[in-house]
Amino acid sequence: MDKKDMGLIGVAVLICVVICVLSPYFASGDPDGLEKSAEDAGVPEDFSIEEIKGIPDAIFPDYAFASNPDNQVLQIVALVIGVVVTLLLGYGVAYVVKSRN
Amino acid sequence: MKKVLLLRNGGINLHIPDGFIPIAQCLVYYVILIVALYFSVKWARSNLDEKRIPLLAVLAAGIFAIMSMNMPIPFGTSGHMVGGALVAIVFLAPEAAVLVFTVVLLIQALIFGDGGITALGANVLNMAIVGGFVGLYTFKGLNGMIGKYAAAGVGAWLATVIAALACAIEMAIAGTFPANVGIPSMVLYHFFIGIIEAVLTVIVLAALDKFRPDLLAWNKGDA
Repeated sequence: MDKKDMGLIGVAVLICVVICVLSPYFASGDPDGLEKSAEDAGVPEDFSIEEIKGIPDAIFPDYAFASNPDNQVLQIVALVIGVVVTLLLGYGVAYVVKSRN
Repeated sequence: MKKVLLLRNGGINLHIPDGFIPIAQCLVYYVILIVALYFSVKWARSNLDEKRIPLLAVLAAGIFAIMSMNMPIPFGTSGHMVGGALVAIVFLAPEAAVLVFTVVLLIQALIFGDGGITALGANVLNMAIVGGFVGLYTFKGLNGMIGKYAAAGVGAWLATVIAALACAIEMAIAGTFPANVGIPSMVLYHFFIGIIEAVLTVIVLAALDKFRPDLLAWNKGDA
């Protein structure tokens, strides 16, 4: 990887971290498009078409620490962890499937 | 039973949760995902060079981050950027969007409970396959007429609206909510969410074109 590509990753991570820091404070808490459509159609909050067993609980449900879901600093930590994991997995997948030429 | 509509910060905007689609139908979407991944890996083998590995990785990370930033839209609703059109236009290949979204949606589903694990196939279909194809081919169709940024903006907006329409149709097939409520609601809300998508898509493309024009496939002359 050359310097320019390191720079790209550096700038991108910086932008991502800024978004992660702002998001818990500024993201709208209003229901989103699919949620609101479900509400419009009268779908109850605990709706499920069939009970799906065996799905593990998320480590950071709703981008927060399960033990302290309203702590905004921990939400930032969860988001930053997500960014790093996504970056690494994205890089790994791209590396594995890349051109061999 | 898993509570499926509790997500607030982060949102499920277009992220179908577990329990919204019957398992048998989820399998159909998984088959579509596997076929799409086959073509995407094939594309990557002949197109993804050393320089574009970091690009694909940072787009995945950026899309993960921006999806946490729900912005208010009318009707007491919110929405965030998705990015399927952006990735498809950056690489001039919807296959790239399939790779990026499989990574992002897998992490969101497994670690953050955002979007269902069983609904992964449907979510990749809507955001990457439908979003990527509609975004890229709208861009290609309009590029010569209205310029690349306007074309990308319209492509990103249309990608959001058509992805929402696809999601509403899937919800109707699943029996989660009927088409006569779901389609107008989803299209109406995503009409506005699409504007956010268009603005951010154009900003990212313009920034890449200014600072790293070598990374944009349209500068290789195949736009």
